[in-house]
Amino acid sequence: MKSLGGNMTIEMNRSNPSEETKFHLVDPIAVAIRTRRPDEAGVAERFAPTDPSSALDVARHPRVARLLHNRKLQFMLILPNQIIFWLVIGIGLLGTVIPGLNFATAITWYLWFCLVFVLMVVVGRAWCAMCPFGGFGEWVQRHAFWNRTSSNIGLGLKMPASVAQYGFLSSVGAFLLLTWIEEYFNIAGPGNPAATSFMVLGIVGSALLFFLVFERRTFCRYVCPLTALIGSVGSMGSVAGFRTRDRDVCLSCQTKDCMRGDPDGYGCPWYTWPGSADSNATCGLCTECYKACPSDNIGLFVQKPLTSVVSPTRRRADVAWSVALLFGLVVYQQVNALTFFSHVDAWLNTHTHFPQYPNPIDYVAGIVGVALALAGVVWVFEKVFASVSPVPVSRPSFLTRTSSFRSYFLPLMYGIIPVVGADYFARQLPKFLLHLPRVLVSIGHLFGAGTISSSLYNSSLIASNRGIIAVQVAVIAMGTMAAMWTSWKIAGRELVPLNGSRRGVQWSATGLALVLGIVTAVLYVLMNAAN
Amino acid sequence: MTTLETRKSDHLHVTVLSDRCAGCQECVIRCPVSALSMDHANWTVLADDDACVGCRQCERTCPFAAINVEGAMVLTDRLDPPLAHPVTLRGDLSETRAGYSSWSEVLHEAGRCLECPDPTCVRGCPAHNDIPGFIAALARHDLGDAHEILSRTSVLPDVCSRVCNQSAQCEGACTWSLAGSAPVAIGRLERFVADQMLTPAPVVNPSGAARELRVAIVGAGPAAVGAAWDLVEAGASVRVFEKDETVGGLCSWGMPEFTLPTAVALRAWEQLEAAGVEIHSSHPVDAEEIEVLLRDHDAVIAAHGAGVPVRLPVPGMDLEGVVDATLFLKGAKHALEVADNATHFLTSLGLTATRHQRVLVLGAGNTAMDVARMARRLGLEATCVDWLDERFALARPDELAEARHEGVDVLFQRTVLKVEGPGRVKEATLAHTTQSGAGQTPKVIPGVSDTLSIDLVVMAMGYRSDASFSSVLPGLPVRRVDRAMAPRQWVASGVMANHASSYAHHSPVGSLALGREVGLNAAAMPVAPRLWVVGDALTGPSTVVEAMAQGRRAARAILDAQPSTPSRTGGANGPRPGRVLVCFESEGGTTAAVAQRIGTKLRESGAEVDVMSIEKVGAMDLAHADALVVGTWVEGLVLAKVHPAKAARLWLEGLPWLGGRPVGVFCTYGVNPRGALGEMRTILEAKGALVHLERAMNRRDLKDPSATFDSEFAQSMLQHILR
Repeated sequence: MKSLGGNMTIEMNRSNPSEETKFHLVDPIAVAIRTRRPDEAGVAERFAPTDPSSALDVARHPRVARLLHNRKLQFMLILPNQIIFWLVIGIGLLGTVIPGLNFATAITWYLWFCLVFVLMVVVGRAWCAMCPFGGFGEWVQRHAFWNRTSSNIGLGLKMPASVAQYGFLSSVGAFLLLTWIEEYFNIAGPGNPAATSFMVLGIVGSALLFFLVFERRTFCRYVCPLTALIGSVGSMGSVAGFRTRDRDVCLSCQTKDCMRGDPDGYGCPWYTWPGSADSNATCGLCTECYKACPSDNIGLFVQKPLTSVVSPTRRRADVAWSVALLFGLVVYQQVNALTFFSHVDAWLNTHTHFPQYPNPIDYVAGIVGVALALAGVVWVFEKVFASVSPVPVSRPSFLTRTSSFRSYFLPLMYGIIPVVGADYFARQLPKFLLHLPRVLVSIGHLFGAGTISSSLYNSSLIASNRGIIAVQVAVIAMGTMAAMWTSWKIAGRELVPLNGSRRGVQWSATGLALVLGIVTAVLYVLMNAAN
Repeated sequence: MTTLETRKSDHLHVTVLSDRCAGCQECVIRCPVSALSMDHANWTVLADDDACVGCRQCERTCPFAAINVEGAMVLTDRLDPPLAHPVTLRGDLSETRAGYSSWSEVLHEAGRCLECPDPTCVRGCPAHNDIPGFIAALARHDLGDAHEILSRTSVLPDVCSRVCNQSAQCEGACTWSLAGSAPVAIGRLERFVADQMLTPAPVVNPSGAARELRVAIVGAGPAAVGAAWDLVEAGASVRVFEKDETVGGLCSWGMPEFTLPTAVALRAWEQLEAAGVEIHSSHPVDAEEIEVLLRDHDAVIAAHGAGVPVRLPVPGMDLEGVVDATLFLKGAKHALEVADNATHFLTSLGLTATRHQRVLVLGAGNTAMDVARMARRLGLEATCVDWLDERFALARPDELAEARHEGVDVLFQRTVLKVEGPGRVKEATLAHTTQSGAGQTPKVIPGVSDTLSIDLVVMAMGYRSDASFSSVLPGLPVRRVDRAMAPRQWVASGVMANHASSYAHHSPVGSLALGREVGLNAAAMPVAPRLWVVGDALTGPSTVVEAMAQGRRAARAILDAQPSTPSRTGGANGPRPGRVLVCFESEGGTTAAVAQRIGTKLRESGAEVDVMSIEKVGAMDLAHADALVVGTWVEGLVLAKVHPAKAARLWLEGLPWLGGRPVGVFCTYGVNPRGALGEMRTILEAKGALVHLERAMNRRDLKDPSATFDSEFAQSMLQHILR
């Protein structure tokens, strides 16, 4: 809380001249400040597509406002998950070795991943607001559960620019690595419950390490294996996150407490400024900016689904490549369920003397291959349609470089986000549909009640392969339709102006989404509900 | 003389991390050379390497560390005129530090100033001089404008430019210094302004709003100068009571002629006297007499300084040949004026001028340097010892260099363990110390010690406040330490960002400056009705510029408050509406609504009212208010204990001394407020407030138009406002 201490400082900048003359006491510092006016050229038009209307600000309701101002809010969100995941660690190590009966494996693989996915599609970074891994690291870093402390534990370094300039791509790398480990040790199969415990411990440990070495939520922003997935697929979500209510107030704000922090709230742990956020991709919904804002100028906005996919003016290259690589990964996971693939992997293992599935060569080649294939399709798009070249930037970095290829690649990859998201969800469905009741049995087992012979253990939400495939294809169909719509909108706004053939590019972009949907749907049929 | 050639760096490279840059423009609006602009497509910042000069203000102000500057800074060498070294030191009193003597030098140095849009030097200056403003005026050859700009915040540019430790103030906070380079020679530029044109005398406004106001000032040091200046300009009649025969305080007796010539030290007092300030010298004022002065004057400003020397508690300090710096400096100054006096003074100290004798000066701050350099001019050898590490030395860097050049032996990381006789001091035992950081207390290394033959010990470790005033001036001295989170505009300016400038002796210039704000703000608040305290009396030993700035701030607070003796009615210049500050801590809006309703009623009753949330209340708002109404919601379990909201509690505990101010408190509750009001009263009374009214309200009262709490507050507050 703000304390006057012996430490009040005078920052009176009374704008009303008549009021100024009323007092003999004036702030001499304010007189000497001659900061430039912020550049506001084109600001209204730039943010118009992504700014939610004030009617969609849920923080306008006093009860919500009160809740969001409460410093204990995030702690209360994290606490239940924290308890569950420490239970997972303990029970995975000490409990039964039967994966379906062990609470650790049952809750993690039958329920948690699906739940995270639903949260991300509906809300965005809802999971991040309650994540026990980041939450634990943050508690240690701040040496507080909810209080605003003014000193941190740890080195407080910044992620080096050489890594940070690639945005979410380091997270994609971490996700590929984690998935490979998970496949190699058959953790999510699920296999031995202890493996799940070690994986969770590994994530908690590495998160803690990053929280102690780096400042803020560097881990969550750059390293967390899920952040690229949530940042890209989560942009379908209907929560825009914390945004400015009046951008002029933000631009003229002299202190930017939402970024630097003040006695009421920490500076944004996610490196996001509500004044310029045009997507929910990097809003961790932690409420700190809302608490810190000295002008009560930040709201919590909802938005129409897919807004953060369709509308942002700035297309980020890291998000685009993340989408391509993540699509590669999920397609790899579909293909690896096919018999022909096990032959390929076995053949490679024999020739490279690698002990078992998955061979890292076909793993990486498969994923990168799919991503490059997407890039290849975009290259064809560009060759066919491009007639306007983008203006090159003077000093390009990975994120700011412009090229004719990129001006197609970025929008098209954003456009296919819904089908990629649907694919990830559909991939998890067999476990969920077949084994969800086992979560209840595994809880019962902790109290000596559940057995593998119980009828609940052997029951399913949908037991037949045809039923599961039907649900998977339905999910893909929904995702494909959404992707066709987003591709149509994005192409109409961003690609049509770039080429002479007018609507051709828009139809082709929509067609790309459709083709990807058909390919993944066919793969699900071929997979025959394999988990 | 150094070269004027410009070193243009070809290797400056600014990297904007486009991933983290949020386009908040904190760097853009503060870049001194407009090297930064917006990339509208990505809404990130674009940098122009060719325009960049490498001052790194952008790095210090970026909230997300998304900008990075590599390469050497583009600036010319700092121009420091060579030190004047007397051919024969003994008896020489000529000034050792020269100002600039030509416009070409001034223009060169002024050209190094970037005129930062959010100047950190201004925050570093205790008086908050508009430094870029006056330097820009110099660059335009406009001396008059430079004087005018300085006069808004300082009435002692000639003194401050000579005696300020700029390295820990304006120059330490210069953007070049924060970036690790040599700062603009702000002190010398200020000196040039003062040297070229006499500082304009106070312009008395005989028909000013304060013409009826009678103010007594206790003491005639720099704090009194600042206070008297603004008061007399506003038309008030000012009487100054000084215990010494001459005015000037430490500036006249404590500072050697070679640092601050007497003519400069007394200039302001001559001008003040000419402007009508009544000076009563040789008139000591004690605690009781302050009460008497309050009866005869509308306001009293206590500016009596902190003159009790700090003594080192080691064996041997009671021996003959141990004196304090005050005695030595006063005597030496007098002794050096006439040649014969020197012998007499030395004899009085038990020394002879005929053989080499050594003075051990305890301390190596600026006073210690003065003592040692005076000793050298009296023909004595001098050794200064200080237990600090030299990297964190308290003396001005140039003063230290001059002292050493004059043959003073300055030993850091030493402390005196004992002084031995027999009868008179003969030998001192010095232990070695170690210090790791500027804020750390040095530690004695056991087992390592030296001995030093000495003939006189002068204690120059500083001063403390006179405890005999504590009955009338409670709660003092104010500690100049800012414990809370730094104010946001200070952080935004970047002044808090660098702690490692070697130019500023590795001291955190930002937090030092913030500490000084504590004193400056305290000066605006009366410690008791109609009684203000400024300068060293308020904060303990500080600097000339701080004292002067505090004096001015108190004077303005007095002009603002228009106090009057109880014998006169309606204020010194006719009735002035009472000013009430209604502040609240509200969560759901109920407390805020109650506060607004009280505010409205007060306004209807003729008061000037500000209603604001406690977190918005600044020092000025408190200083302006004649009375305070504080309200909060309550928290806790009704069955166990109910407290005022934590935020309100912390805020109340952090309030400055309220010195007899009338206060009303209220709380809003759901079920039962229990002891919450009493808790608020206890905290406020410990701050010297007079709590005249307590009320607890719930939502029903607020909705009830016939509830009378608002008029009760209005009546009580207006009745108790003393004017």
